[in-house]
Amino acid sequence: MLSRVADSLYWMSRYVERTDSILRILKINQLSSQDDQENFTWSPVLEIFTELAPAEITKIERNNRKVLHYMVLDRNNPNSVYNMVMLSRENAKGVQDNITRELWQCLNEFYHVVRDPKLEKNLQTEDPVSVLDTLIRQCMLYYGVSDITMFRGEGLCFMNLGKYLERCIQSADILDVKFRDLSYDLDKTTDTTYWKYLLMSVSGYALYLKKYRTGFEARNVVDQVLFNTDFPRSVLYSINQLHRYFTRLKSDQNQEGYSKVDFMIGKLKSKLQYSDVHAVSRIGLHHYLTDITSDIYAIGNTLNQYYFAYS
Amino acid sequence: MHESPLLDNYTLPAANTIWDEMMNQHGVRDPYKSIADFLTSIPADELTRKEELAKRLFMSQGITFTVYSSGEGIEKIFPFDIIPRIITASEWDFIDRGIKQRLRALNLFLKDVYHQQFILKDGVVPVELVYSCPHYLREMNGVNVPHDIYVHVAGIDLIRDHDGTFYVLEDNLRTPSGVSYMIENREITKRIFPDLLPQNHVRPVTQYPNILYKNLKALSPRKISNPNVVLLTPGIFNSAYFEHTTLARLMGIELVEGRDLVVENHKVYMKTTAGLQQVDVIYRRVDDHYLDPLVFEPSSMLGVSGLLAAYRKGNVAIVNSIGNGVADDKAIYVYVPDMIRYYLNEEPILKNVPTYQLGKPEEREHVLQNINTMVVKKTNESGGYGMLMGHTANDEEIAKYIQEILKDPRQFIAQPVINLSSAPCYINDKLAPRRVDLRPFALCGPDGIEIVPGGLTRVALKEGSLVVNSSQGGGSKDTWVLAH
Repeated sequence: MLSRVADSLYWMSRYVERTDSILRILKINQLSSQDDQENFTWSPVLEIFTELAPAEITKIERNNRKVLHYMVLDRNNPNSVYNMVMLSRENAKGVQDNITRELWQCLNEFYHVVRDPKLEKNLQTEDPVSVLDTLIRQCMLYYGVSDITMFRGEGLCFMNLGKYLERCIQSADILDVKFRDLSYDLDKTTDTTYWKYLLMSVSGYALYLKKYRTGFEARNVVDQVLFNTDFPRSVLYSINQLHRYFTRLKSDQNQEGYSKVDFMIGKLKSKLQYSDVHAVSRIGLHHYLTDITSDIYAIGNTLNQYYFAYS
Repeated sequence: MHESPLLDNYTLPAANTIWDEMMNQHGVRDPYKSIADFLTSIPADELTRKEELAKRLFMSQGITFTVYSSGEGIEKIFPFDIIPRIITASEWDFIDRGIKQRLRALNLFLKDVYHQQFILKDGVVPVELVYSCPHYLREMNGVNVPHDIYVHVAGIDLIRDHDGTFYVLEDNLRTPSGVSYMIENREITKRIFPDLLPQNHVRPVTQYPNILYKNLKALSPRKISNPNVVLLTPGIFNSAYFEHTTLARLMGIELVEGRDLVVENHKVYMKTTAGLQQVDVIYRRVDDHYLDPLVFEPSSMLGVSGLLAAYRKGNVAIVNSIGNGVADDKAIYVYVPDMIRYYLNEEPILKNVPTYQLGKPEEREHVLQNINTMVVKKTNESGGYGMLMGHTANDEEIAKYIQEILKDPRQFIAQPVINLSSAPCYINDKLAPRRVDLRPFALCGPDGIEIVPGGLTRVALKEGSLVVNSSQGGGSKDTWVLAH
């Protein structure tokens, strides 16, 4: 496969994953803002997912519509849903001969949805959650279409590498945003709706209820989002998937690159596998998360160096 | 049938001025009867809904080109008229024979002009015309190309005069485009007019990519079972990018850009996730002058350094061949009927439009005196640019254009205004006649020449306009070739 094509597939899928994650965070924050309008602020979301200066954050942090517009549609926000969908589609456009027609049409339609002027109007005047749901559905469609139609080859591997790598980062970031409010104190008791919303934003609420019978505790939430291998958005699950798809790329032609990346993923995998919430609380959650994400970024860079470099 | 409001505005031109594809003085022509019956039998707003469906299909499938303005891309669709254009079986048979004959001669001409040059020595084609042509590439002298095929893909533009005679307007032998619209327009017709295609015995066009791939594969210099065939595109900003990606997808070949390729030891490789992989055949949609910065345009980022050397060594096949522009130059065009007689000893089946070369003083004189009835064109421009339509231009435009001509007359040819035939188009809820041309696509491979029964019908959507180019407000139609 062409390095350029691998690179585009990887980014096409990373952007959708990031879009999906941001949309869910927006949805959950919009909902939780309705519970506690007094104290609710968007500032953790804005700090993690945008490049806004503190002064600009202060200006809009309590204005739901403004934040939603900035995060979803603002052309000047490089991480807005609008821009990420554009980028994902641009990447797909360059590799249409390597993805199925259905997948291309799916992203192309997504693109037309985010460009629809009606969307902008509805986000300002109607129920914002309905608008976010429309967009989330487009992401779901993308996952379904790619799973059902994409041929099981190198291309799908690179798409999955992008997807799971991005998912690790997102899940770690969501924990980071939410626990920052609690100053990363894993023993602090807080309103149960707080955890409920966090878990809902990563579609982990139902699983949590089944698995952790002791009610809502910060430690259990951390355990699920970091280590639960049955939970498709946990960091460990994502790393396992990342490894699974990466090992399929093993070939005689690129042994050096393969063993380098394989080593890095394997090491990170063990780091998570042989760790638990107690260890996390000893090290400090923020510190732990930073360590994990910096490992993930390093894997991304090495992939780039050995598999995508073409110019 | 005339009671239907749909045909109210279908005013037929005066006899012997314009050939209308659908109607003559006595009513609807036979091949159009079935579709005309159908169109007049459905409710009036049904066609508008079909038109909207067509637009939506183009948009959602991304059959679009992007116009970049103020940093933001806007998706546009090439205008598509839903009413098909029909070619009868006997008309197609004539076109098919005519184009095959013409291409055989043009191919021989290209081989000759880059080797022994018999046709120049025998004085059939003037030497100075060839050497002054900017598309004549000395770099190709003495280069042997696989199977002696230069023109693998040709898009010959045909028009019809007032009596219905077909004329060749242009031979596009470099990187003719539009074939994806032949294929996609047909796909859209299947959706908006279900069942009409089989009812009318319309011949399919879907085999085009398979034939092209078979031909490309046969050119591989390495005699291996699975040669590496790629399509070279200038990239996603090119207005024909949709076509490149469609063809690559339909043939199952890799779509590459110049930056994906590298030449080492006179061999072409592509950069893959598993290291370098040799490339055997390149179907390029990049113009000659951008192909290799070492030989041609040094600032070009679209090509590959060293590509021409690899080609000359015979390590890679390039489709179409390099330097074909000398054969579809508008001044050389005049001599194609002579080439047919010279190389094939046959009389040309398809006629040329009478053409005056402004490089010749007496012809220039004639054209300048009758400029109001002439179309003047630059010999090396395409896409409808740099043209003067004598019958519609004002005095000032004409005076300015004449000054241009006198600077370098060789660069210009003139043709009497040919009234392109008209075909029905759905415009403002009514059928109205608009001018059309026809570009069938011919594929030449080691097994001979094949022309997929169909083509791109381009249409000038502005009333009275004769310019069908998409860059100048033209659209397209599905083209039906009937089996019998």
